[in-house]
Amino acid sequence: MGSPKSPAGRRYMARMMPAMLLYVAVLFGSIYILRHLEPGGLLIWIVAVAPAVPIIGAIVAMGLYMAEETDEFLRATMAQSMLWGIGVTITLCTIWGFLENADLLPHPPLYLIFPLFCASFGLAQPFVSRRYR
Amino acid sequence: MKNRLKVLRAERDWSQADLAERLEVSRQTINALETGKYDPSLPLAFRIARLFGLPIETIFQDEA
Repeated sequence: MGSPKSPAGRRYMARMMPAMLLYVAVLFGSIYILRHLEPGGLLIWIVAVAPAVPIIGAIVAMGLYMAEETDEFLRATMAQSMLWGIGVTITLCTIWGFLENADLLPHPPLYLIFPLFCASFGLAQPFVSRRYR
Repeated sequence: MKNRLKVLRAERDWSQADLAERLEVSRQTINALETGKYDPSLPLAFRIARLFGLPIETIFQDEA
């Protein structure tokens, strides 16, 4: 999401920024602990899944934005951009999956799907907005 | 859908930002409405009509 133009947009940024900073910190912390401290039992599960928590926070921030945005036009363009993001993500994953099935491509880590969605969602925004200018 | 928002706004000497503030929407929303590329919801259309003190059908014209 580009520059926030509404109170809901500002709240979105105020939630998204700390979530992303927390993600970087937790990700590096998690990788470090898994590599150097070699935790066992339940702890390895908790440490391994920890980076997903701030990502879920980011997804919740997106959902809250859609729920809190009072400007119906901004909400509509955001929803369209998200649909483009979902469409592009599903398309690329489907293509990759079939190519992978034929041993033409390696298996990518599934956590890359969220950044892929964010990138395609972000790229769609200026194109969706331009349609209404 | 065609509308007379731009004319009504000009008559009152309001900028897009002025109208946006009075309707509590963004300036982009005003722009999208004025170009006729975005049709407002009924609640927003009623808010616009109330602000200008006009019936909805004198502001928005169905092209059909």
